[in-house]
Amino acid sequence: MNAVKQKDLILYSGLIILGLAAPFLFSAFKVQLTYLCVLIVLAMTWNLQGGEMGYNSFGNILFYGLGMYLTASVQVGMFFPLAEWTESGGEKTFVHTTAQYFQGIGVGLLVAAIVPTIIAGAIGYAILGLRGHYFAICTLGLGIAAGEIAGGIEIIGAGQGFTTPPFPAEIVDPEARGQFFYFLSFLVLVLAFVFVKYIYGSRFRLILNAIRDNEDKAEAMGIQTMKYKIVGWMCSAFFCGLAGGIMGGLIGYIDSTDVAFDGREMGVFMVLMAILGGKGTLWGPIIGATLFHFFKEGLWTFILGWQYVALGVLIVVIVVYFPEGLMGWLREKYPERFGEVIDEKDRKAQVELK
Amino acid sequence: MNKLVKLFITSISAITLALVSFTSSFAKVDGEYIVLGSAISLTGKYSSNGVHTQNGYNMAVDRINKMGGVKVGGKSYKFEIIYYDDESNPKRAAQLAERLIKQDGVHYMLGPYSSGLTKAIAPVTEKYKIPMVEANGASRSLFTKGYKYLFAVLSPANQYLEVAIDLAVEKNGGKPVRIAQAFEQDAFSQDVRLGILDAAKRTGSEIIIDDKLPKELNDMAATLAKVKATKPDVLVVSGHTKGALTAIRQISEMKVDVPMLAMTHCDAAKLSKQHGKNSEYALCASQWHKNLSYKDKFFGSGKKYDKDFKKEFGYAPPYQSAESSAALLVFKDAFERANSFDRDKVRDALVDTEMQTFYGNIKFGPGGQNVAKPMILFQVRCKGDTCENKVVAPTKWASDKFYHPIPKWSERG
Repeated sequence: MNAVKQKDLILYSGLIILGLAAPFLFSAFKVQLTYLCVLIVLAMTWNLQGGEMGYNSFGNILFYGLGMYLTASVQVGMFFPLAEWTESGGEKTFVHTTAQYFQGIGVGLLVAAIVPTIIAGAIGYAILGLRGHYFAICTLGLGIAAGEIAGGIEIIGAGQGFTTPPFPAEIVDPEARGQFFYFLSFLVLVLAFVFVKYIYGSRFRLILNAIRDNEDKAEAMGIQTMKYKIVGWMCSAFFCGLAGGIMGGLIGYIDSTDVAFDGREMGVFMVLMAILGGKGTLWGPIIGATLFHFFKEGLWTFILGWQYVALGVLIVVIVVYFPEGLMGWLREKYPERFGEVIDEKDRKAQVELK
Repeated sequence: MNKLVKLFITSISAITLALVSFTSSFAKVDGEYIVLGSAISLTGKYSSNGVHTQNGYNMAVDRINKMGGVKVGGKSYKFEIIYYDDESNPKRAAQLAERLIKQDGVHYMLGPYSSGLTKAIAPVTEKYKIPMVEANGASRSLFTKGYKYLFAVLSPANQYLEVAIDLAVEKNGGKPVRIAQAFEQDAFSQDVRLGILDAAKRTGSEIIIDDKLPKELNDMAATLAKVKATKPDVLVVSGHTKGALTAIRQISEMKVDVPMLAMTHCDAAKLSKQHGKNSEYALCASQWHKNLSYKDKFFGSGKKYDKDFKKEFGYAPPYQSAESSAALLVFKDAFERANSFDRDKVRDALVDTEMQTFYGNIKFGPGGQNVAKPMILFQVRCKGDTCENKVVAPTKWASDKFYHPIPKWSERG
C-alpha cells in the first residue's frame, strides 16, 4: 500500500511541476494550455453526474455561462455603472486600475462559484426527480433557454455582447495576461482534482454509484437519493461557474449563445471528453479532455472546413469501438493493472450463469 | 499500475518534446513574403460571408503580388495570408488570433467576418500591439473602446439604414413615419437598430414593432403577422445573409404589403438572383456598389473589379468582398509609406492613411473607423425576369429613381 502511495506522490508532484513549468516551457501555447485546464475541469465535474451518478446532464453549460456573466458583471459593476459599460455606442470609456482589475476578478470569481451552486440547488430540486432521458432533455433546454434570455437582457449587453474589462495596461509585459489566466485555471484544476479525488475515496461516491446502478434499490436501502443528487449537481456547478468566469476574462468578449451558453460546443465537448476518456473513472475525463484538445488543436487547422465532419467521425468511432471510453477499454484489456483481482473460477461461473 | 505510470510519463515527455520543437515561430517577414494572419468563418452561420471575405482578400493578394508587390526599403515583397477557420464563433476567433500572433509569429492581421468576431479579436491584437486592418466589423462599439491598432475600411453599422428612415420621412411629405423593425440578436444588427432608433428620434417617428430575431435565423413569420395587422410605413430587417433571405421568402409567401422594405446584406445573399421578382423594390444598405466612380491603379474601377472578380470566382462580388480587397490596398499603402516592418511605424502610417481605392475613399477617424466614405442605398429592380441592384441614394451616385411605395402583392404580376 505504501509503495503505491509513494508512486502516486511522484506522479502528482511530477504533474504539478509540469503544470507550473508549462507556461514557461511552451510560452506560445499559454492560451491553449489554459483552455486545456478549463476543459479538464468541465469534463471532470461533468463526470460526477454523467459518469458516477448516471444522470447525463447537458445543462452544466448553464453554470458555466452564468459564471462568465457574473464574473464580468461584478468586475465592472464594483467600480463603474454596468449599464453604461455595456451600452453599445456609449461614448465613455472606463479603465480599471490594476488593483481594481484584480479585486474585481477575485470577487467576481467568488460570486461566479457561489451563485451557480445555489441555482443548481434550486433547479436540481425541481428537476432531479426526472430520470434518464427525461432529465437529459430537460437540461438540454436549460442551456438554450438561458442563452436566449441572456440575449435579451440589456444590462449585460444583450445581443451586442459584453466586452470584459481589458487586462490592466499598467502591466506592460505582454506575457503577464496569459500567465495570470493560466495559473488561475491551473489552480482551479488542482482544486477540482483534489475535490474529485476526495469524493472518489468517500461514501458519497458509493451513493452516487448506487443511484446510477439502481435508484429504486438505493432508495429502498434508506438513502435519500434526492438530497445526494442535488448535492452532486451543486458540486459540478461550483466548478463550472469558476471555469466560466476564467474563460470570460480570457476570451475578453461574451456573446450570449456563442461564448457563454455555448451548448453547441462547450456543452457537447464536456460530455464527449468524459466519454472519450471513460466516464465513471478519475483519470478518464482528464485523459479524454487532453486527447480531445490535442486532436482539436492539431488536426483542426489541417482539415479546414471539414473539422466538424472529423469530429462527427470521432464521436462515431468512440461510441462504436470504445463505448466505455479509453479507460474502460484499457481496464477490460488489462484488468490486473487496475488492481482488479480476477478469480478465474468466479469469472467462469459468471459466464455459465448467463 | 507501474507500467501505466511509466507509459504516462513517457507520453507526457514525448508531447513535451514535440511542443518545444514546434514553438519556434515563423518570422513576420519570411524571405520575400510579408505574412498576414486572418481568422475567417469558413464554417458556421457566417460561412457564406466568410468566403466572400476570403475571396476578397485572395483577389487583392494575387493582384498586388502580380503588379510588383510591396516595396519596402528598395526591395519588393509579396503578401501571404495564413488563414484559420473560426467557425463563426467569437471564442474560437479570439483563440486563433492568439495562435496566429504567438505561434505563427504574425505581426499584421486582417479582420474576420462580422462585428461580433472582430470584437473578440480586437482585445488580442491590441494587447500584442498588432495592427489590424479589418473590413467586416462595423459595430459602432468597436470604435469607442479607444483601440489604437484597429482600422476599419468600412462605415459604422449605425449608418447603414439611417438614411432609409430619412428617405421614408421625405416620401411621407416630411411627416413622421411608423416603423416596424426586426433585428437579429448579434452585435452588428443590434447596432443597425440603434441607428434606426436615432433616426426615429430625430424625425419624431414612432416604432410600433421592435422584434428580436434568433441567431439561427430561418423564421420571422410572427413579426410579419404583426406587420400585416398594424400596417407600418416602413419595415426594417437586418440579420446578415440569412435575415435577408428569410425576410424576402416569407414576405412573398405571406403576401405582406408594406410601402417600404429596408434591409442589409441583400447583395451578399444574392437576393436579386435567388428570389428574382419577389425581392423587387427591396431597399438595401451597402458599403459599395460597382457603379460608384472611385478608382485605383490595381483594380481600376468598380466595374472592372466586378468583371475580374466574376471571372475568378464565378459570381458578382458583394460589398463584403470589395471592402476586403480594399483592406489589402490599405496595408500595402501603409507599408510603403512607413518604409519599414516596424509594427509601430506601420501603425502610425495607417493612422495617416488618406487614399482612394476602387471601393471608396479611405481615411481613418480617431476610433479607427473610415470617415471618408458614405453608405449607399440600392433598390432591387427588375426588367422582365432579370433583376438588378440600382443605386438610389445618395443622389450623387444614384443611377435610378427610388420607387415608392411598393405596389401591393395583388397588383404585382
